[in-house]
Amino acid sequence: MSYGTCQSSFCNQGWSDVLTHMSPYGYANFGIAFGLGLSVVGAAWGIWLTGSSLVGASVKAPRIISKNLISVIFCEATAIYGVIMAIILANKVKKPEEATSSLGDDWDYAGYYYAGYGMFSSGLSVGLTNIASGVSVGIAGSSCAVGDAQDSSLFVKILIVEIFASALGIFGIIVGIIQSNACTFPITALE
Amino acid sequence: MATFNILHGHVESLVRGMRSSFLADADYHHLTQCETLDDVRLNLSETDYEDALADMNALIPTGLQKAAVDKLVTEFQFLRTQAIDPLAKFLDFITYEYMIENVMLLLKGTLSGRDINELIAQCHPLGMFKESTMRSIPTFESTPRGYQDLYQTVLVDTPVGPYFSMFLQETAGRGEVSNVLEEVEIEIIKSSLIKYWIEDFAKYVDSLGGETATIMGELLKVRADTNAINITLNSFGTPLNEPAMRASDRKRLYPALGHLYPAGTAMLADVGDEDELGRVLELFPQYSSIWNIHAAGSEGKSIDDAFYERDVQMLELAFEGQMHFASFYAYVKLKEQEIRNLVWISECILQSQKDEINKFVPVFSFNSGWRASSKKR
Repeated sequence: MSYGTCQSSFCNQGWSDVLTHMSPYGYANFGIAFGLGLSVVGAAWGIWLTGSSLVGASVKAPRIISKNLISVIFCEATAIYGVIMAIILANKVKKPEEATSSLGDDWDYAGYYYAGYGMFSSGLSVGLTNIASGVSVGIAGSSCAVGDAQDSSLFVKILIVEIFASALGIFGIIVGIIQSNACTFPITALE
Repeated sequence: MATFNILHGHVESLVRGMRSSFLADADYHHLTQCETLDDVRLNLSETDYEDALADMNALIPTGLQKAAVDKLVTEFQFLRTQAIDPLAKFLDFITYEYMIENVMLLLKGTLSGRDINELIAQCHPLGMFKESTMRSIPTFESTPRGYQDLYQTVLVDTPVGPYFSMFLQETAGRGEVSNVLEEVEIEIIKSSLIKYWIEDFAKYVDSLGGETATIMGELLKVRADTNAINITLNSFGTPLNEPAMRASDRKRLYPALGHLYPAGTAMLADVGDEDELGRVLELFPQYSSIWNIHAAGSEGKSIDDAFYERDVQMLELAFEGQMHFASFYAYVKLKEQEIRNLVWISECILQSQKDEINKFVPVFSFNSGWRASSKKR
C-alpha cells in the first residue's frame, strides 16, 4: 500500500503524524532515559578502557594504581553528569491536576509540546556528549596509566589532557540545563 | 582505537610495563666499568635480571645468555597465555621464525654428525616443538626423498609445515626435480622458509589493518630488505653467485615485499660483487647510508652493526604509538638486542678487550645517535 491510498480514519498521514501523536510525557521520559543511559554507557566505556590498561601497567609498576584511580574517577564523573541531568529533568515532569481522558481546547498545547520536545533533546544532548567525553577520557586515561608506569613525570601532563576531555561532558550538561530551563509541563488549563 | 582495549588492553599494557625492564644508560655505563665478571653480576643484580641470575654460581657469558633468553621466554609465554586472537596468532607468528631456525639447526647439526641432545640444548626455546618431534627431525636423510618424508611425517603437523610444503612445491615445480634439491644447501632452505614466513606474516598483519598494519608492515618491509641485502652479500664467493644461479636460485630467495621489491630485488639479482651491490643500494637512500658504513669500514663497524642500529631505532619507534601489536614484536627483538649486548660486554671483560667494549647498540638509550641528532634540531 502506498501513500495516500489508505481510506480508514485510523490511518497515519506519515511519520510527522506518528511523531506528533506521541505524548509529550513520553518524549520527556525518553529524554531522561537517553540522557542517563548514554551517559552511563560513556562512563562505563571509559572505565573499561582505562581499567584494562591500568591493570596491565600496574604489574611492573604497582605505584601507579592509586594515582591512576583519578582517571577512573574522571570517567565516573561522566555518569554523575547524566544522573544530575536525569534528576533535574525528572523533577520537571508533572502530571495534570485533573486526570482526564482528553484535553480541552483551552489547554496550553504550545507549552505542552515545547516541554516534551525540549526535555527529549536536552536528554540527548547530555547523553551524546557524555558518550564522546567518556570514550575520550578513557583513551587518555589508558595512555596515562601506560605512560605513568614508565615515567611518573608524565602523569600530571596527561591528567590535564584528561581534564579537557572531561570538560566536553560539562559543555553538554550546561547546554542541556539551558535547553530544559523553559520546559514546564502545564498542569491546569489556561485561564 | 575505542575497541582495542576490549581484547588486548591488558596484554598491551603488560608489554609496555615490561619496557621498564630494559637496562638504562647508567646500567650500561656501570657494566662497561666492570673489571671482572663478578662485578658484572653484582651490577646486574640491581636490575631486572636479579632473579634470573640468582641461582648461578659463577657467571660466564654462555650462562648469562641462557639465563637471559630463558627470562625472555618466560615473559613471552606469560604474554602468550594472557593473549587472545588475533593477538595470540600474532605472537605465534613471532615464534615461527625461531621454529624455522631450530629445524634448520637440527638438520645442519646432524649433517655434521653432532649429538642430538647437544643440538636440542642449543635450540632457541621460543621455537620448541614437542620433545618427540624434536628428536625425530634429524632421523631423516638429507635428500629430496628425506625432506619429503620429513615434511609428511613430522612437520606437516607443526605451524611451520605450510612453509616447508611451499618450499617443496616450488622446487618440485621447477622441472629438474630431485637433482636440484640435493644440491640445495641448508642455508638456502632456511632463507626460503624465512622468506615465506615474512610474506605470510606480512599478509596476516595486513589483514589486521589499522595501526598494526602500518607500523608492523613497515618493520616487516625493512626486515625483508635486510634479508635480501644479506643474502646477496653472503652469496659472494659461493656457487649461488654464479651467473646462472643468480636469476634462478638467488632471486627466489628475496622476499616479495619491502622497499626494495620489485625494482630493487630485480637489480640485486644481477649483482655480481660488492661494488655492484653498492651501486644498486645507492639508489635507495635509506640503505645507501648503511652501505656506506660497510664500504668505509670505519670505526670497525660491520654492516650487521649498522643494521642492528637501524633496527633498534625502528623498534623503539614502534613503542611510541599505542593500541597496536607491533610493540610485542619490538619487545622480543629489543630484548634480543639487549641479550646480545650483555653477552658482548661479558665476553669483552672475560677476554680483557676493554677497548672493544663500547661496540654495542644500547636499547632505549638517550645517547643513541638518532636521538641526539633529533634533539639538536
